[in-house]
Amino acid sequence: MNKSLIGAIIIIVFLAIGFFSFMDSKIEYVNFADARDIHKKVEVKGQWVKDKESNFDSGTNTFTFWMKDDYNNEMKVILDGGKPNNFEVADAIVVKGKVKDGTFMASEVLTKCPSKYEATGEEIKNSGY
Amino acid sequence: MVGKILIYLSFAFSILGVVSFFLVHTGKEKYLKPARVFYLLTATFVITTSALLMYMILTHQFQYSYVWQQSNRELGLALLISTFYAGQEGSFMLWTLMTAIIGIFLLRYVSKGDRLEPEVMSVYSLVLGFLTFILILKSPFNYVWDTYAGDVAPGFIPADGRGLNPLLQNFWMSIHPPTLFVGFSAMAVPFCFAIGTLIKNKYDEWISYSLPWLLFAGGVLVLGIMLGGYWAYGVLGWGGYWAWDPVENSSLIPWIIIVAAIHTMIAQKRTGGYKKTNLILCILSYLLVLYSTFLTRSGVLGDSSVHSFVDPGKEVYISLVVFMLTFLAIGIGAVIYRAKELKTFDSGSKNILTRESALFVGAVTLCASALVVFAGTSWPIIASGSIEQDFYNKMNLPIAILISFINGMSLLLKWKTNDEKTFFKSLLFPLIITCVITFALVIVGVQDFIFALFAFAAIFAFFVNAEIAITIFKKNKSGIGAYVAHIGLSLFFLGIIASSRYSQDVNLTLELNKPVEAFGYRLTYLGATEFEDPNNQTDSKYHFNIRVQQDGKELLLKPVMYFSSFSEGVMKNPDIANFFARDLYLSPMGLVEPETFTKDQIHEIPKGKSKDIGALNVEFIDFNFGGILPGGEEVRSGNFTVGAKLKVSDNKFSEVIEPKIEYKNGVPSYFVAKMSDKPNLNFYFAKMNVSNTGNGEAPTASIAIVNTDETPMHIPEESLVINASIKPFINILWAGTAILVIGFFISIYRRRKDL
Repeated sequence: MNKSLIGAIIIIVFLAIGFFSFMDSKIEYVNFADARDIHKKVEVKGQWVKDKESNFDSGTNTFTFWMKDDYNNEMKVILDGGKPNNFEVADAIVVKGKVKDGTFMASEVLTKCPSKYEATGEEIKNSGY
Repeated sequence: MVGKILIYLSFAFSILGVVSFFLVHTGKEKYLKPARVFYLLTATFVITTSALLMYMILTHQFQYSYVWQQSNRELGLALLISTFYAGQEGSFMLWTLMTAIIGIFLLRYVSKGDRLEPEVMSVYSLVLGFLTFILILKSPFNYVWDTYAGDVAPGFIPADGRGLNPLLQNFWMSIHPPTLFVGFSAMAVPFCFAIGTLIKNKYDEWISYSLPWLLFAGGVLVLGIMLGGYWAYGVLGWGGYWAWDPVENSSLIPWIIIVAAIHTMIAQKRTGGYKKTNLILCILSYLLVLYSTFLTRSGVLGDSSVHSFVDPGKEVYISLVVFMLTFLAIGIGAVIYRAKELKTFDSGSKNILTRESALFVGAVTLCASALVVFAGTSWPIIASGSIEQDFYNKMNLPIAILISFINGMSLLLKWKTNDEKTFFKSLLFPLIITCVITFALVIVGVQDFIFALFAFAAIFAFFVNAEIAITIFKKNKSGIGAYVAHIGLSLFFLGIIASSRYSQDVNLTLELNKPVEAFGYRLTYLGATEFEDPNNQTDSKYHFNIRVQQDGKELLLKPVMYFSSFSEGVMKNPDIANFFARDLYLSPMGLVEPETFTKDQIHEIPKGKSKDIGALNVEFIDFNFGGILPGGEEVRSGNFTVGAKLKVSDNKFSEVIEPKIEYKNGVPSYFVAKMSDKPNLNFYFAKMNVSNTGNGEAPTASIAIVNTDETPMHIPEESLVINASIKPFINILWAGTAILVIGFFISIYRRRKDL
């Protein structure tokens, strides 16, 4: 009896810690408009705005670019790190980070390029003899 | 066509196998022979199908969509073979193949003695039934004219294939996926034994003969996982060996559960307790394999992983769900069916200070770790969002500490009896050594409390196991498997502490031939050299040579960057200097080409406008194309000269000058223009900006004014930007994993002898 009581307490404590830590670590998917009001880490999905400035600053090791979310809100993004792989060809990009003074400070950028891995009919047309 | 027929045959015979083995179970013994034949036929067809697919790949039969999509004529033999499982269809094929082959050994194994043959093989055949059904839906034998109907005519044979994703083009591609799939496939065996034993209503014998299978599945799976980790670390340049990515997590979760099961099964073997626990863990481990497959293959996690997930289509999604739910139903159904019997089993030892209780607590702790990873990985399908990597680290750190302590202590406890006095006495020696070493580590620099505690726990576990291993080795050499595995795990933990908590990194800009100091090394970028990759002649690959010098010794590191035409992006591979006590890890970030002019020297002026620059007023009158047409043939070919007519005025004079820019194959060279009274001012025409959008914006000219009095003309060399990091004692981590795997295999050997 005593043993199972101790066990139960440990499990409850673990679950409680886990729950709060989980709530603390979860990152919501939002758009840029909402991201301004949330003061914790969020994720925003969208597209790279190709005709605005984008550059890598080797001094601060940051990559700066503009991004448009799925609701057409545009924001400047500063990524802590170099230009991600497949950045140019990505159909969509997901940035993780926080908004600070109107700029999205990203710690991570995921690039989504399913089309590159899925062959297209166009491609096979051009691969004949 | 033949391939498709073979898959249909495999499916048909696997179902016949399910049915006939079940009939044997119900007492119709005469079906045993046919049932075995059905299974062997299923396996034969699966192997033949795989051989056919391999043959098609090796002979470049690009009329098959899968072969066209995944391979090409350029790939060398090893990589060509690995295109077998580079795509969705092929990796299901590999999984099916491994399951079929393992099943042949399983059939031989269970047909000897009374080992639940009909029950186990019936469920196992059902696994193959589902896998072959998915292959029917997602066949690697479709013709391109069916897949791309409308785009190409029937009978069309592409000249070459698309080729293999460059990320997958390396040695690890040949061993990581096959190893992982052997582990994944073997995980079905404990499930089948658990279900079989529930159907049979016998709960003791199965432990002995299923244990070697659990050890095999666990040992191979962890080997596969760590090969993937080494791939990520050494080649892909993800910066580490583990990123808590859903694909990584999804093979880790079942592994943790199977490890928990191994421990409680040993407890049952010794004491007879934990019968329910073992059944549930064995069932759970394969359900989690199926759940993982669903998570990573169905496309549900599309947005939250660095691995690329391709949506496999609705039919595959549904069949994966059905596969998972069927096995969930079988598992739950079997447990409920025997609920009455299961209730009569007591819950193991009453005494906490016994070996079996400790093993049980350890198993619960492992399950807690699996739960953490499970919750984090599943979160994106419950809500829109994801979980920070830090969550996994924060939660698993205390769990790992606890596991190390339990590991060390459990081995000092006795089976069934509670002998506190000897226990505390035996604790003394390892604790003293551990204290001394931890104290030394704290002095050296391990000063965060939690990491010092983690190190303490791992060292404790290490010494307890090492002491026992030495004692046992003298008597029974093969009995040391468990202790070897535990020693491996302790070293692995110590490697994690050193290499992640105490790793340092810095971004460096290495100008050509100019040494830069970092972490006590002198790094010099010596320029890039092109090299041949026999597997990829399409792209020009470059080594970025960096000389590393320390204490008079030197070596050359060659991280790679190249533009991949397959991915339409720059691919980067790190290079690592592996020293005894640390790795120096150089990850290329980019190449900064020299800029001819600095930012503040350049002034952009629209056509017809003027701008005050210092004491001067510069008006950009017009371009001078010298008779050629703007936008004409010469301009497009990249070989032409253009001037910018400028009217430069100070408060006294006004003068028209024309700096020119000459392009040869698109590479510019600049012709200076000067004012007659200011020889120190050099005017360059740096760039012309002609807007093609037709939105009426005036074209502009970028004019560079270089004052030679202030800035001597300095043209910087190209520089390489890298991220350099130090991973202390990462060798301990790799050695730990290798030892862990060896431990598993020693144990399998020993358990086989036990049978």
